[in-house]
Amino acid sequence: MPVRSLVSRVVLAALGACLVLFIVGPLLRLLFFASPESLGAALRDTELRDSIVLTVFTASLATLIAALFGVPLAYLLARRNFPGRRLVQGLIELPVVVPHPVAGIALLLFLGRRSEVGGALAHLGLEFVSHVPGIVAAMLFVSAPILVSGAREAFRGVDPQLERVARTLGDTGWGAFRRVTLPLAGRGVLAGSILAWSRSVSEFGSIVILTYNPKVASIYIFDRFTAYGLQAAVPAAVILLLVALTVLVVIRVLQPEERR
Amino acid sequence: MIRLENLHVRVGTFDLRDITLEVPKGGYALIIGPTGSGKTTLLEAVAGHARLKAGRVFMHDDEVTNLPPEQRGLGFVYQQYHLFPHLSVRDNIGYGIGRARGRRDRSDPGARIAELADMLAIGALLDRQVRGLSGGEQQRVALARALAPRPSILLLDEPFAAVDPATRQVLRRELRELHEREGITTLQVTHDFDEALRLGDLVAVLAEGRIAQSGTPEEVFRYPNSAFVARFVGTGNVIAGVVERTDPGNGAGSFRGTFRGGSLVLDVVAEREGPIHAVIRPEDIVLSLTHHPGSARNHMDGKVVRLERIGPVTLVHLEVGRPLIASLTTQSVEEMELKAGKPVMVAFKATAILLV
Repeated sequence: MPVRSLVSRVVLAALGACLVLFIVGPLLRLLFFASPESLGAALRDTELRDSIVLTVFTASLATLIAALFGVPLAYLLARRNFPGRRLVQGLIELPVVVPHPVAGIALLLFLGRRSEVGGALAHLGLEFVSHVPGIVAAMLFVSAPILVSGAREAFRGVDPQLERVARTLGDTGWGAFRRVTLPLAGRGVLAGSILAWSRSVSEFGSIVILTYNPKVASIYIFDRFTAYGLQAAVPAAVILLLVALTVLVVIRVLQPEERR
Repeated sequence: MIRLENLHVRVGTFDLRDITLEVPKGGYALIIGPTGSGKTTLLEAVAGHARLKAGRVFMHDDEVTNLPPEQRGLGFVYQQYHLFPHLSVRDNIGYGIGRARGRRDRSDPGARIAELADMLAIGALLDRQVRGLSGGEQQRVALARALAPRPSILLLDEPFAAVDPATRQVLRRELRELHEREGITTLQVTHDFDEALRLGDLVAVLAEGRIAQSGTPEEVFRYPNSAFVARFVGTGNVIAGVVERTDPGNGAGSFRGTFRGGSLVLDVVAEREGPIHAVIRPEDIVLSLTHHPGSARNHMDGKVVRLERIGPVTLVHLEVGRPLIASLTTQSVEEMELKAGKPVMVAFKATAILLV
């Protein structure tokens, strides 16, 4: 029935277009709201520059830590059937459903000087609250699940039989992982890492509770908005948006053909 | 040489048990069995991918039971090829060269790759990516990859199941030639008895995780030891029934008896009484248009149901109160002008009935 299928196609397209417009509209409005001069001025603002550098540094550090601990875990979750696997999988995804200020408060209680863990770490010279490690901890908490699930899916996409073939061709388990699984899952793991990194860059809710100063970019923007109003916050917001868009393009390029 | 002693492997709730088998050096053995009989599990156990609950695995008199796959010196070809998708054909074939312990090959890997590419007629594909190769091409590459490190043992898991019949014929012939040329002890898994008849020196029929029968393909085909094996290898007509003794007999050994299976009553030579299966090979059934008993003790009236022509041989599906299949030369089918619905006389000797 061509008429009905045409109608249904138009309805589907219209519904989809509304949502796309709703997402693209505000971002475009923001992009063109700031004048080039104000952007230039914002880029010369050392406080903004410092906050962006701090954001990139802490987000990168959080991603590295997440990768170091998360990639082996992702491999285990993808390949091994161990008791409690589902539980571990559920726990690792917990931060996704926890509201971020709640995460911030939980981290504050766990890593603050008055907790045993936080106290012990502070004794070793590692201070979290109102210090840079606090930013990294908050970012790690919210972004690690993204990295782990991305890497897990990437490993799951590699046929485990390929490793077995590599073993019969003389590779050890580690050799097979390094020469077969990792090259095949690599792009997926990297895409997951970049997604986790951009999640860290955009984090606000938990950082604001744990470490307001020194300011990461999202807090800097919030601070400008509350202290000086909309006009003052826009240029910084635009710059952060451009960083996010770049990341999105990179991920799209990295994603394997068939999954695009 | 591969020797398996009382292997017991458990995968989930499935058990592979009491597997004892020896493939002589340079031999070609086939494990046949229906889907779910444990064939692939058995190969994985030989390769060292599956953990054994019990039993021992020997290769060339060395025990390898506790060695990891990479130290067993074998090649493994899977049904789905499993080529490395991130490598070119050349790099796939060269993957294992000079890598395996105890097979350190100082010769130029390029020469070995070229030699195999030549043997398997895939020279033109060497610089291609794996993606886009046809099933037959992929299987040749997978074979070349497995053979490249010069393994002394080759394991094949239904290597021809996923290629078209014409390619399968060619690959089978090439594989047999390769086997003779390289002198590799080969263990292949298949669900196709025809393949076993064509390729193997030795077959083992696997049923529900146990070896039901093993021997030369001819032996297993001619003298199946159970109704399951007879049905699976397609020996012919398998009829469940009961044997009763008709002569007093002389104590030990065989005696003459009557086999009753449904409406079918047959004169047989039996070795035991009671419930049993009668196996009648299609080529042992004689058809005629006029009644002539000859020396055959069993004869009955039947009707042709349909004809199934397989080249020079035609299978005649008959109804004699139960279905029966006879195999005749296509020429005699034409001479007798057999066609569906035609009444025929059906006869076979008592000694042509195998009781299992």
